Amino acid sequence: MSAINVDLAVNGFITGLFYALMAIGLSLIFGILKIVNFAHGEFYMVGAYAYTLVALAFGVPVWVALPIAFLVGALVGWATERTLMRPLYAGYTSWGLMRDEYAVIVTFGLSLFLINLVDKVIGPYAYRGPPLVETSRVVLGPVLISGHRLLAAGIAIAVILITAALIKWSFWGQQIRAVSQNRLGASLAGIDTAKASAIVFMLSGGLAAFAGALLSPVINASPDVGIFPAVKSYIIVVLGGMGSVPGAIVASLLLGVIESFGAVYLSYQYRDAFGLILLMLFLLFRPQGLFGEKGREV
Amino acid sequence: MTLLSVNGVTKRYGGLTAVDDVSFDIVAGELVGLIGPNGSGKTTLLNILSGLATADAGEILLADIPCQRLTPEQLAHRGVMRMFQLTRVFRRMNVIDNLLVAGRALGLDHGEALTRAHALISELRLDAVAALDAGQLSGGQMKLLEFGVCFMVPPRIALLDEPFAAVHPTMKEIMGAFIRARHAKGQTFILVSHDMPVVVELCPRAICMNAGAVVIDATTREVLNDARVIEAYLGGHAA
Amino acid sequence: MTQPATPAAGAQLTTTKTTVEFRAALVAMAIVALIPLGVGNPYWLGVLIVSMYFAILAGGWNLLAGYTGQFSLAPATFAMIGAYTTGLLGTYYNVPPLLGIVAAVVVSGLVGLLLGRAVLRLVGPYLALTTLSFAEIMRLVASNTIDITRGDLGLGVAGLPIGRLAWYYLFLAVLVVLLILFYLLLRSKAGLFLQAIRDDEVAARRAGVDVVFWKTAAFTLSAAASGLAGALYAHFAELVTPELGLIAQTGLILSMAVIGGMGTLAGPLVAAFLVYVLSEWLRDVGGYQLVVFAALVVIFARFFREGLWGLAKAAVRRWRQA
Ligand SMILES: Nc1ncnc2c1ncn2[C@@H]1O[C@H](COP(=O)(O)OP(=O)(O)OP(=O)(O)O)[C@@H](O)[C@H]1O
Ligand SMILES: [Mg+2]
Repeated sequence: MSAINVDLAVNGFITGLFYALMAIGLSLIFGILKIVNFAHGEFYMVGAYAYTLVALAFGVPVWVALPIAFLVGALVGWATERTLMRPLYAGYTSWGLMRDEYAVIVTFGLSLFLINLVDKVIGPYAYRGPPLVETSRVVLGPVLISGHRLLAAGIAIAVILITAALIKWSFWGQQIRAVSQNRLGASLAGIDTAKASAIVFMLSGGLAAFAGALLSPVINASPDVGIFPAVKSYIIVVLGGMGSVPGAIVASLLLGVIESFGAVYLSYQYRDAFGLILLMLFLLFRPQGLFGEKGREV
Repeated sequence: MTLLSVNGVTKRYGGLTAVDDVSFDIVAGELVGLIGPNGSGKTTLLNILSGLATADAGEILLADIPCQRLTPEQLAHRGVMRMFQLTRVFRRMNVIDNLLVAGRALGLDHGEALTRAHALISELRLDAVAALDAGQLSGGQMKLLEFGVCFMVPPRIALLDEPFAAVHPTMKEIMGAFIRARHAKGQTFILVSHDMPVVVELCPRAICMNAGAVVIDATTREVLNDARVIEAYLGGHAA
Repeated sequence: MTQPATPAAGAQLTTTKTTVEFRAALVAMAIVALIPLGVGNPYWLGVLIVSMYFAILAGGWNLLAGYTGQFSLAPATFAMIGAYTTGLLGTYYNVPPLLGIVAAVVVSGLVGLLLGRAVLRLVGPYLALTTLSFAEIMRLVASNTIDITRGDLGLGVAGLPIGRLAWYYLFLAVLVVLLILFYLLLRSKAGLFLQAIRDDEVAARRAGVDVVFWKTAAFTLSAAASGLAGALYAHFAELVTPELGLIAQTGLILSMAVIGGMGTLAGPLVAAFLVYVLSEWLRDVGGYQLVVFAALVVIFARFFREGLWGLAKAAVRRWRQA
């Protein structure tokens, strides 16, 4: 593999790690509520602002600002679940039919609300977050990379692994998976499904916000900064199979690498279209994603 | 005259054979009970007959014309109407509109559809709730409404999937009377039910399925006294 | 012949409901027609013209999402497709605007037909995501084929030799014609079928409704209406940019339909005016308009699912009872 290809692969992989931070949460939400959260990008945006403002305005050290961003995102996620998601499962039988459209409208509306609120309250200007380290160039064989990006990639790996382990082995992780498989069965088995959903939203909001914070030195915080990563995570949850966390992680890395190579070898202008085209093709011809099995009919 | 002929119909889901080489004929005007323990394949068979699932093997003839490749809407136009085990109505449309949908879709004009809808509403005792959205009806009323939808244009064969399940005795009475009256006028039915007294009362003939296959197809008396049927039901309960 | 039972006679049929809504919408349009008598300010006329653009889009989307239950996130995209159709035809082939507008309707309708066919089996979140991707791909294409579309700079489009007041009545005429068309459609059996599909597709098929045909028809009609709006707007603004297809535009259309009341003929149309005019007015007093509307969307969806139309209906009922 030539030097440039190694560079493309490594950088694509790192981008994929950031995608994974975003997509895991979206996938968990789909798993537990069977909805797509169209406000997911705004969780990311909130994190980018929380990190940047806390660090710049209050002079909080970046290593403290990072977990603060996670907490703020978790709080927004929790509030979203509390105020808007309850009708999806709180015994509104006649909502059964409406739930898909309700979910789209409410999350879409929330997304518009948060974007415009931040635009008015903080302003439309972009803020650059402080990097974790100032080293601008690290040379690793053929790969050139900024110190911040390298460190952020390491942190992302750690967070992804911890999250995956929590979902797999922790008590609440198991509860969440039970609810995702069968909400009714889980509630009959005495699992607090409302609490499981709240936890999923907190985790999802926290992870997305964390991604926003990590990337804010690279992609400056602005009101609509979340749209782009949100679209990426839609693509990923579809490729990985809606609701599957391992699928989302693999698909994230794959998309990162595909885009990295596609931008160079296919078309730079259309680098963002590859994933969208994949999304459409998958939903039309293979809705179960890359790894999923074909579900029951009707 | 044979109206419906089912020949060797089989349906598999993965390793499970939900319907296993099922064959029977139904003559026009018959009212046939279809019984069998939970999971024996009754609903799956009705799904195949109504076009919602495709058989992996076998042939279905409706008045001698093969129809296993037809869609539910095509079958509806050819006179196959089915009621669902889990009631399906148009929840955000009122009772009359629910009936009108079927009437208009099957070719009636507005006036004719409206007249029939009103007649069915009074026959099914839904007058008091006719203005409500179907989503606001009780479970039993929804079943009655679904009955009405199936009979806006009397079908050649009506496939009823457990219409009496979880329904109040009064409503069961209305449904029973409805079925009996139509049957007396020559309507053909397949009636899936777990309610043996009702099957005995309504259906002269019964088919019992177990594990996807037909166990016995005879008069209802014979079927209910058959050792294999008792075995299937007891086995079903024990499992 | 038996007489219909009396209690059932009190039930309001879908057709009656539609007629009531249609009358209300006509009254609203009559008021809109009278506005220029009192308001001569070209700025406000312009605001109202853009409101009518959005009213067409919201009405078209409502046919698809509100009546048929197909939650597409691409209404703004079809407006963009319509706008570029006439813009490109005019620029490269000197096609006159009126012909260009007709072509725009045909092209966007055809694209709608194809997309509608493709997404036939998709529901809920899957449909939303597919149409969202379609929207973004189309926008990326428009903004990146710079040689042809001039990208984000936008494509200059010929205007029409008419004044602002004439534009006003042109838009109004188109809006009213579409309103009548939708009314005739929804009052016929199609209205029953579309709503039946929205409520339960399987039950609709069981009842004999040709679901494939009606779903595709709704998609095509809705796309064609959006394309018409986009093409008209292109000649009015004399400029086409990829911004016409922004997701935020779809957000605005969706807001209007939700606030007005999805699945009602009058609600989205009237709300398009209220939302757009109010937002222009609020712009002068602090610029919180988009925050307010986004909040309203969430609040309406959460607590008043039938929108302003539903609230108005409830108010009338209470007033009659009192
Ligand atoms: N879409 C499907 N995918 C996989 N398995 C299915 C599907 N539909 C039915 N089955 C299986 O086929 C078998 C027969 O099911 P079916 O619903 O036909 O039984 P039934 O006789 O109607 O039972 P009941 O009396 O409980 O309604 C069951 O084991 C069921 O799990
Ligand atoms: Mg069954």
